[in-house]
Amino acid sequence: MNQWWIAIIAIIVAPIIGGFLAGIDRKITARLQGRYGPPIVQPFYDFFKLLGKSRIATSRMQFVWIYGYLVFMITCVVFLVLKLDLLLLIFLLGFAGISFVLGGFSSKSPYSHFGANRELMQILSYEPVLLLMALGVYAQNGSFMISEIVKPGAAPLLPSLWPIFIAVLLVLTIKLRKSPFDLSTSHHGHQELVKGIMTEFSGPYYALITLTEWYEIVLVLGLVALFWANPLWVGIIIALAAFVLELIIDNIAARMTVGWMVKFTWAVGLVLCVLNIAYLYLIKGGA
Amino acid sequence: MDLNWMMAVAILLPLVAGILVFIIRQYHIRGLIVILTAIALIINSILLMLHGPDTYTPTSHYWGLAITILDYAMLLFYIYAGLSLKNWLVLIFALTQIIPLAYWEFGMGASKALEEIKPAFVFDHLSIVMVLVISIVGSLITIFALRYMYDHEHHKEIEKSRQSRFLFWLVMFLGAMNGLVMANNLLWLYFFWEVTTLCCFELIAHDLTKEAINNGARALWMNSIGGTTMILAMIYLFAKGGGTAEMLTLESIIKAGGNQAMLLLPVALMCFTGFIKAAQFPFQTWLLGAMVAPTPVSALLHSSTMVKAGVYLVLRLAPAFAGSYLGIMVAICGAFTFFAASVLAIAQTTGKRVLAYSTIANLGLIIACAGINSPLAIAAAILLIIFHAVSKCLMFLCAGTIEHLVWSREIEDMEGLAEKFPVTTFITAIGILSMFLPPFGMLLGKWLALESVFAVPLAAILFVIASAATMVFWAKWLGRLLQVLPRLGRKFESLSLSYSVPLWLLVLGIFVVGIGVAPVYQRFVSFAVNNVVAATEAFAAGWNIVVPSASVAAGGTGALIGSFPVWPLYIVFGVAIVLPLIFVTVKPGELRPVYLCGEQVGGVDTDEWITTADQKAKLQLGGFYWQGATGEGAVNPWFYTVSIALLVILFAVVVGVSL
Amino acid sequence: MGIINTSRIKSPWIMHFDNSSCNGCDIEVLACLTPLYDVERFGIVNMGNPKHADVLVVTGPVNRRTARVLKNLYAQIPDPKMVIAVGTCACSGGVFHNCYNILGGVDKVIPVDVYVPGCAVKPEAIIDGVVLALQKLSKALGVAK
Ligand code: SF4
Repeated sequence: MNQWWIAIIAIIVAPIIGGFLAGIDRKITARLQGRYGPPIVQPFYDFFKLLGKSRIATSRMQFVWIYGYLVFMITCVVFLVLKLDLLLLIFLLGFAGISFVLGGFSSKSPYSHFGANRELMQILSYEPVLLLMALGVYAQNGSFMISEIVKPGAAPLLPSLWPIFIAVLLVLTIKLRKSPFDLSTSHHGHQELVKGIMTEFSGPYYALITLTEWYEIVLVLGLVALFWANPLWVGIIIALAAFVLELIIDNIAARMTVGWMVKFTWAVGLVLCVLNIAYLYLIKGGA
Repeated sequence: MDLNWMMAVAILLPLVAGILVFIIRQYHIRGLIVILTAIALIINSILLMLHGPDTYTPTSHYWGLAITILDYAMLLFYIYAGLSLKNWLVLIFALTQIIPLAYWEFGMGASKALEEIKPAFVFDHLSIVMVLVISIVGSLITIFALRYMYDHEHHKEIEKSRQSRFLFWLVMFLGAMNGLVMANNLLWLYFFWEVTTLCCFELIAHDLTKEAINNGARALWMNSIGGTTMILAMIYLFAKGGGTAEMLTLESIIKAGGNQAMLLLPVALMCFTGFIKAAQFPFQTWLLGAMVAPTPVSALLHSSTMVKAGVYLVLRLAPAFAGSYLGIMVAICGAFTFFAASVLAIAQTTGKRVLAYSTIANLGLIIACAGINSPLAIAAAILLIIFHAVSKCLMFLCAGTIEHLVWSREIEDMEGLAEKFPVTTFITAIGILSMFLPPFGMLLGKWLALESVFAVPLAAILFVIASAATMVFWAKWLGRLLQVLPRLGRKFESLSLSYSVPLWLLVLGIFVVGIGVAPVYQRFVSFAVNNVVAATEAFAAGWNIVVPSASVAAGGTGALIGSFPVWPLYIVFGVAIVLPLIFVTVKPGELRPVYLCGEQVGGVDTDEWITTADQKAKLQLGGFYWQGATGEGAVNPWFYTVSIALLVILFAVVVGVSL
Repeated sequence: MGIINTSRIKSPWIMHFDNSSCNGCDIEVLACLTPLYDVERFGIVNMGNPKHADVLVVTGPVNRRTARVLKNLYAQIPDPKMVIAVGTCACSGGVFHNCYNILGGVDKVIPVDVYVPGCAVKPEAIIDGVVLALQKLSKALGVAK
């Protein structure tokens, strides 16, 4: 029963944390731009307002996929707090991402079509890095279970997996939709492809996507925190520091092209991961 | 039932039924025969499963004689085909088979020894799994083919029906495959191997267009190379065995796994044979060419027969290269194919070519698992064979159905299929999702493979890139199907029973095997894994798949390496996708046209918009294929170079070790 | 529904549409987003898409071609929605009112909730206009403000 309670609490608490993080994001961004910025709770206002808007639709399937996006993201968070299999979590995250992409593809709209294709390229960029992160964890721990990472007495991963950590920071930029990788859609009101993959989602469904993104923030920061899971507060501080770092990068970087993103994440992220794993394989002498 | 009968039904019934449908030219009676054969095969495979592992040797010596005669008949036919098609490659590789074979059997006197081999057939749990897959999935395809070929000829307005001929080869294929996965005698294995090659050639060339014949010939000569290496392997084994047939059975090769140095070369040669049949790089082109054939052929080649023979052979031989460099090289070759084919699939604009590349990729994955050769990897390989057969069969049948609805194979022509043919699209969507997403079986297999792949880190890296590329090309395709205008009130199309029954059965199969993967694993697969490597631990706990840490050599610190909660994830899938599908409704008043900068012509029923000078234009969207980056022209030179280099290294390593 | 109504007031996302203005008003609209005025303080975000917008900010007089676009965009905004006509041109046609191609103010095509006159309008006036629109909305929703 205990597990159920942990899962339920996580499902309730995660979006609240995520919402506040989104609020902090907007505040810090505003300050970095010399503005005052909206109140911290602004994302919640936006969320409830969107919930109250009337529904307009361009197809029925787009909403089905949005529910898939939300439910699979929640499942990922549950996997994280229940300390289940990291590799499977990453595959589930893949389903969530694909579900969103399919939502974008589900209406015959040039903008969401474009956004969906770009989102696919983003998946192509970050998915290998995340999978290699799981393999790196396995190389270090001999297990894919998150419970092995956080169990008392387990050594922190960061000292031996720091190249992978840097690669995961790149993933974080993509996942949080921050410049230079806010390609498929961004959190800023105006961008050159209208709103990319989000263009055709409005009202309550936009709210669901917002909710999913809050879960996603918590999830990816949780993954970052895993790099120093003992004691966990160090990991949380590292994750928050990474979050602030992302905000700064967001404000000083310009958006790059899709091709550049794939090349860059593979050239830097994949190579770092590969070197890291090769090193671990050599010193550990195979599985 | 008596074992005699079961073997006869599994191997000979398809042949008899094939001859019957060839003679009887009546659509309905022919259909009845095919359906009855299908049912008999399915029941028989289940009976075989209940019977359990056994060995069998036909009592009469005439069978051996018949096989020898048919062997030469086939090879002579290849020579004839080579001459009449003026395809010198076919001719050359037919000669490279028939000359050594004749020399060996009669010059070296092997034919006498070969007849003594006992048992001629061994079917263990691995064979049983294969027989089940072949009989069940394959039979569904033959049923599908009935109506498909009818429509096919109708559409092409072919005067003289050649359906009988088509069905003859199609049905016989199943018998050959059943024989192949049970054969123990290497010469018999070779015979069934050649029969599948022949069936494949005939089926690919069925339409008799220039392209079809060329591609059939290509399949023929490529697989003839495989046949040649298999003969070489047999001769080598015969010579090393001191002129006895002692080593000429699969059983003895596997048993002698410890005594490797001597066996490594023939095993490598036979793996190479398997590679070709499984269309691994650089031999992928024959399978791509096979796409010209009517879709049931592709479905059969890709899901349950032909290419599965290739992976079956590699998997079967896995004990013989356990712990050697050959195993590592096999893993790397397989992983490379997985990677290369997945990348190439992104650039494909034709549905069936995407499917072909995806098959090649998954076969690479299975072969890589066989190369890794840990219990976990073997479990992954066998599960992948099962799941891939079901999902890929469904995908091909969907592709065939779609082809007969829109009369095109191009993905671009399938745009908005969800609007025109919602039922087909729904089934296709299930098929596509089941190929690459959790909680479906293929993903489960990939997950197991990744959990085991750390033993060969190079393969691991190829795996992860390939698996990301897999997501891209499937999602892209599915996205094209789903792209619809904001309209409601779709009419469900009605499909012919011969289409819809196999389709829905396969959908059911995906879910049944998927949800019941743990019991399925415990009932069959774990034994089959044991036939390959001695697995002491169970990968199933209740309804879940778990990976205990003892299953890898180094051992983890905790009790588990990974876990895959199967039914909770299916519940998640139900909540995420199925429930919304049922309960999310959209009212007509809620529909709005898509955002086109306010320039849309008006209502939701049109996709017209107003361009400059107030001209109306239709909104057109196209898919992305990134052909400059991942197209065949851009990457094939690299992939060929690397894959040939890998094969050279493989043989160099083997020869180095054996000498 | 209290929280939703409160949120509606707190988070007006605007969409800016330019009919055929002289661009004077447009520049002033954009000025609102700059650090000096920073309308994001009030949760106002400039969206590029009617499907995400709550408030349609229209500048410039309607001409024969933009009338259709304006109608289309208005139809794509989900309810509840407000329209603000910014600038004298948007209110009445302004200096362009008797041009051959001009229909007149925005209210010739879609219902307007708030008129903000000025040529060009000051950013303060635009912000005032949005506040006025929100007050009107809150009255309509029955939320005391
Ligand atoms: S009101 Fe004045 S500044 Fe604004 S658009 Fe009209 S003419 Fe230009």
